[in-house]
Amino acid sequence: MAMIQDIFSSFVALVPVTLAQSLILAFVVLGIMIPFRMLSFPDLTSEGAFPLGGCVAGVLLAAGQSPLTAIAAALIAGFAAGCCTAYIHLRFRIHTLLAGILMMTMLYSINLRIMGRSNLSVFGMPSLFQWSPFGQPGFPSTKIVIAGALGLLVLILLYLFFKTERGTGIRAVGANPDMAEAQGINVWTATIGGVGLASAFSALSGSLMVQSQGFADVNMGLGILINGLAALMIGEAITGKQTVLRQLAAPFVGAVVYYQLVSLCLAAGMPPPDLKLATGMFVLLMLALPSLKRGRAPGAAREVMRE
Amino acid sequence: MLEIKSARKIFFRGQADEKIALDGLSLSLKTGDFGVVIGSNGAGKSSMLNAISGALILDTGKVQINETDVTGMPVYKRAAKLARVFQDPMKGTAASMTVAENMLLADLRSQKRRLRQGLNATRLAAYKERLELLGLGLENRLDTRVELLSGGQRQSLSLIMAVGGEPELLLLDEHTAALDPRTADIVMKATIRAVEALKLTTLMVTHNMQHAVDYGNRIIMLDAGKVRLEITGEEKEQTTVADLIGHFAVKSDRMLLAS
Repeated sequence: MAMIQDIFSSFVALVPVTLAQSLILAFVVLGIMIPFRMLSFPDLTSEGAFPLGGCVAGVLLAAGQSPLTAIAAALIAGFAAGCCTAYIHLRFRIHTLLAGILMMTMLYSINLRIMGRSNLSVFGMPSLFQWSPFGQPGFPSTKIVIAGALGLLVLILLYLFFKTERGTGIRAVGANPDMAEAQGINVWTATIGGVGLASAFSALSGSLMVQSQGFADVNMGLGILINGLAALMIGEAITGKQTVLRQLAAPFVGAVVYYQLVSLCLAAGMPPPDLKLATGMFVLLMLALPSLKRGRAPGAAREVMRE
Repeated sequence: MLEIKSARKIFFRGQADEKIALDGLSLSLKTGDFGVVIGSNGAGKSSMLNAISGALILDTGKVQINETDVTGMPVYKRAAKLARVFQDPMKGTAASMTVAENMLLADLRSQKRRLRQGLNATRLAAYKERLELLGLGLENRLDTRVELLSGGQRQSLSLIMAVGGEPELLLLDEHTAALDPRTADIVMKATIRAVEALKLTTLMVTHNMQHAVDYGNRIIMLDAGKVRLEITGEEKEQTTVADLIGHFAVKSDRMLLAS
């Protein structure tokens, strides 16, 4: 009994920190969801775009630039990275996953070049999380309010966008690219813009993370993709994905729940090295579930993806 | 209206399985014409439609729609001028999107898509009205995702989507071939109603000789990537299914002799 109480109290103590972290990482999950679900373009760029955003923001912050400049630069860099991945796929007909792997591998060198070394401290530099009129600067509550408000704003804007004429066109590219093209939609523009936007969100997440933790590290993206996927699966299991709003809410809900679960596992004494194995098994289980339910018959592939 | 001049397309050029899909094919349709394209498998029917819609880029030759040269124009730009219904009901609609959203996509085919609300009350009412004409109850399922509809309903929706917005040219690619006879009949009747009401210039590919005889004002028979035979006017009125099958027979006899 005392042990359970111990686990519980150490979990509860970590709830605010974890919540702040998960709201920042929700943008990566969003950056994974948009290509995967809206464009049928399973994309791995986020593993490189997240540290890219962090490195770009880190260098600018260390040079004394304002946090907003740093975030804007990270967004632009992320957008460019996403556009490259989409272009590689479209122009050379390379599978989206391979295009993403190429991009994230190349980004590793680029990130090192940008920073000039493997990590960079921006501790004590001005950050977005110090501008808060709520609570004390730098405390989890401030981060929760700022990251949460930013997330809500992005969610609303994306929802409105996907309901516009142009947004509906972009969704059609994901649903049926041939049909979309026959309806006068430029598949290239929509794909490049959409994947670019998604990577911009991943980079935004990286730039926020750097400001939150006070340093940028070239390895900060390691494993972010599988964590993001796990969060997305959980989110979709909770919110569903039948409507645009549910699909857009899934990354945010998923990120919050997933990172609390991780925190609970750690509090319960799971050795941190096992975390990736557990996450990977979880994602595998979620992806395998429909096939397990159907029995052994191999049925149609569940996810229709681009070649 | 539609002008194809000496269209030529060779697949796998220089390889063992080289295939001449279009061999100097020329064809012209006047505004308001309803051409029915027949021909055996591999005659070049689909290649011709693909060349018109832009899915296939010609090696040589020209395609003009209403005096505009569209030979090198990408599919999404040609979409402003033409609409197409495919044989496969899955191809013409976006499965994971709702009926209304699919209608919206087709509605904006020839317009610039802007950053303004897509589905508004005016549009929804108009879509409802258009779908009512089918008599399939689709007007009450505007918010249903298309993947939940039957093949016939999807194909009917594709048709309504294609004729909405009054395209300059309507391409029908064996669009009733994958449906059961009763549904095929409903879709075919709806097609004829729409084509006549809107006076659409239409090109329909079919394997159904009865349809070729019953509908349209012109029969175009393709063979080996060329127009083998064109029947128009009076002659078309008097053509029977037996005549058409006769033409196929002549062709296969000749093929026998040639081999």
